[in-house]
Amino acid sequence: MKQKYWWLITVLAVVSIVAASCAPAAAPAAPEVMEEEAPAEEEVMEEAPVAAVDIDCMGAQPGDEISMLYQWSGAEEERLNQILAPLVEACGIVIVPESTRDQALLDTRVQAGTPPDIAFWNVAQLVQYENLLIPMDSLEAHTDNYESFFRSPGTVNGKWLGLPVKADIKTIIWYSPAIFEIKGYTVPTTWAELDALVEQMVANGDVPWSMGMESGDATGWTGTDFVQDILLVEQGPEYVLGLQDGSVPMNDAGVKAAWETYGKWAKDPAYTVGGAQGTLSTGFLDAIYKVFSDPPEAMMVKQSGFAGGEVKAQYPDLEYGIDYDFFAVPGAKGLQGGADWMMSFSDSAAVKALVAYLSSELGGANWAKASFDLSPNKGAAGNYVDPALIKKGEALATTTGFTPDTGDTIPGGFGSAEFKALSDFVNGVDLDTLLDSLAAVQAEALQ
Amino acid sequence: MAQNIPGIMKQKRITPWLYLLPALIVMATFILYPAFNTFFLSLRNLDNTGWASTRCLEGQPCWGVFENFRYALTSDVMRTAFVNNIIWLILMVSGTVGFGLLIAVLADKVKYEPLAKAVIFMPMAISFVGAGVIWKFMYNFGSSQVQIGLLNAIVQALGGQPVSWLTEPQINTFALIVVGVWMWTGFCMTILAAALKGVSVEVLEAARVDGANEWIVFWKIMVPLIMPTITVVITTMVINVLKIFDIVYVMTGGNYGTEVIANRMYTEMYANYNPGRASAIAVVLILIIIPAMIFNIRRFSEQEKIR
Repeated sequence: MKQKYWWLITVLAVVSIVAASCAPAAAPAAPEVMEEEAPAEEEVMEEAPVAAVDIDCMGAQPGDEISMLYQWSGAEEERLNQILAPLVEACGIVIVPESTRDQALLDTRVQAGTPPDIAFWNVAQLVQYENLLIPMDSLEAHTDNYESFFRSPGTVNGKWLGLPVKADIKTIIWYSPAIFEIKGYTVPTTWAELDALVEQMVANGDVPWSMGMESGDATGWTGTDFVQDILLVEQGPEYVLGLQDGSVPMNDAGVKAAWETYGKWAKDPAYTVGGAQGTLSTGFLDAIYKVFSDPPEAMMVKQSGFAGGEVKAQYPDLEYGIDYDFFAVPGAKGLQGGADWMMSFSDSAAVKALVAYLSSELGGANWAKASFDLSPNKGAAGNYVDPALIKKGEALATTTGFTPDTGDTIPGGFGSAEFKALSDFVNGVDLDTLLDSLAAVQAEALQ
Repeated sequence: MAQNIPGIMKQKRITPWLYLLPALIVMATFILYPAFNTFFLSLRNLDNTGWASTRCLEGQPCWGVFENFRYALTSDVMRTAFVNNIIWLILMVSGTVGFGLLIAVLADKVKYEPLAKAVIFMPMAISFVGAGVIWKFMYNFGSSQVQIGLLNAIVQALGGQPVSWLTEPQINTFALIVVGVWMWTGFCMTILAAALKGVSVEVLEAARVDGANEWIVFWKIMVPLIMPTITVVITTMVINVLKIFDIVYVMTGGNYGTEVIANRMYTEMYANYNPGRASAIAVVLILIIIPAMIFNIRRFSEQEKIR
């Protein structure tokens, strides 16, 4: 009797384990993909019915495969599928995608000699895999659709290796127009006005900034973004690019001045929520929410374009343009932004067709219509549908300079050293010492 | 006599090696090869295209082919890591073994012993990452009025100013060590309690009859009798603490001066894509741990001899 009892439990346990492990893997995988892809195709076809005709297949045969590795998943992946649908439709190319956030996967594949045909990854990988990547020119990318300052970060030793497909701008400040109106604040148009506005807020007893930057082992990136924007105001894009190629050392007086401007705000509880310890220990997402909570804990947060989506997700009742909006960092010459880069390890006909499509005006337009952040492609202009993206897209289309993130651009550990130095600076470590050691890392990385 | 043994029963010189072969293959593939490859990589440059000496900068000190070791042994961040690892070593080993022994002895005297031990042992069942996240909430420092972190809520209720436990350089390493002690005390307690059960009751009774108080019984009888176990626990903990990574990675990411050796190794490898430096740090870490391992193995073989 007792034995039977145990036997039953064992069987139940095994069955439930098997059911639990198999069910999610088998069931949603197939149908979900089908559901996602089908409506996406229809949508695009409705919007651009003649599109398929304009696509140059570059000799790709139906059934040709492109293996892809990217970091997008869920809704992001759906948007990418929506963008690629016309190409798939027109040329019969089969996309074999793989989604991972794990950089090690890409590194392992490349080292094993089996890289994906296409990877959408960060700018640093263009340097890392310089000798393995196929230049965009030889893949017949439409060069004219990209301003030179969008091509240059993707150019390594004279070879254009990466196509910037998806961009986000960082040189913007998020605020609540509703609160600004109640409190009688106006959006500044020059750096001096911003400075005056900040002082006015402090005098009124409002905390101007929410500068939290806690982000696990990447803590500090919010701060280095802010510093780079200050550099764009005080020194301009040439100076920032100089830092990135090593012609300006990190312990230059201009860098020190920018860090001090940042530190004046980031360390003082009158200027930022919680003072230095608040800056260090508040998560970067919480820092965004603090500006839009009721009552708000701060008036402004400097954060990239993605912040709008985070506000909407956290406070679904708030409305863009009324309760939350952004303005460009006043006085900044050129924009700072991040981009996802398409890089190719293969020069097959199918890959050429993909590169040609995405770099064409149609590709830019479809990217914009899919509301998948911004596209540096000139074809994107005028095709955005989301109001926030329209405003960001205008800023991107009219900018006179574009500087990528300094930490991302300099290889070999400069990024994490910069994050660490900035958080140490906020924590009270001597600035000159920090910048001297950062300059050493910079020189070492760029030798 | 020898001629009577059938040939198949005779062991040739090669036979023992055949028995060992599977184990040797596994050892060679998964331990020896990676170890030698790590050492080789530690002498190479960023992307394994040349020797590390190519990374030397003009006018800067240079250790030639051992350039990565110059970083691993003399750079500022690694010095912080060494100092922190020593603090970890002293406080966490003494903390876990001390509390483990104390609880083992005290629990021995109460009726609800299994319950008490289960509670202390429970944290061992949680993953390091889970524990890190839990304690991150405990230490939470809210910049707004309401403190959701337990510790700061208590501080505030008592009328104090909330403290940012994880970012203040004077306290954060200690805050992390508390988590480590919380997790590993149960492990030490279990092993030490088992050893205590092995101390024969007659000896203890005899001492008590002779008029020894509990303090003397503990220090003069229990501790010497379980000393071999205590040393094994200590060396195991030393190795554990030298490798400490998860708690630091999850809770501070090595920022604000809480860097430790293993976390630096991870950062160099996966954040900075600098396998040369990461391998050099790994080699240094192995060299530090080897004495503790040798000590442990010697202990084992001594005990085997006694048997």
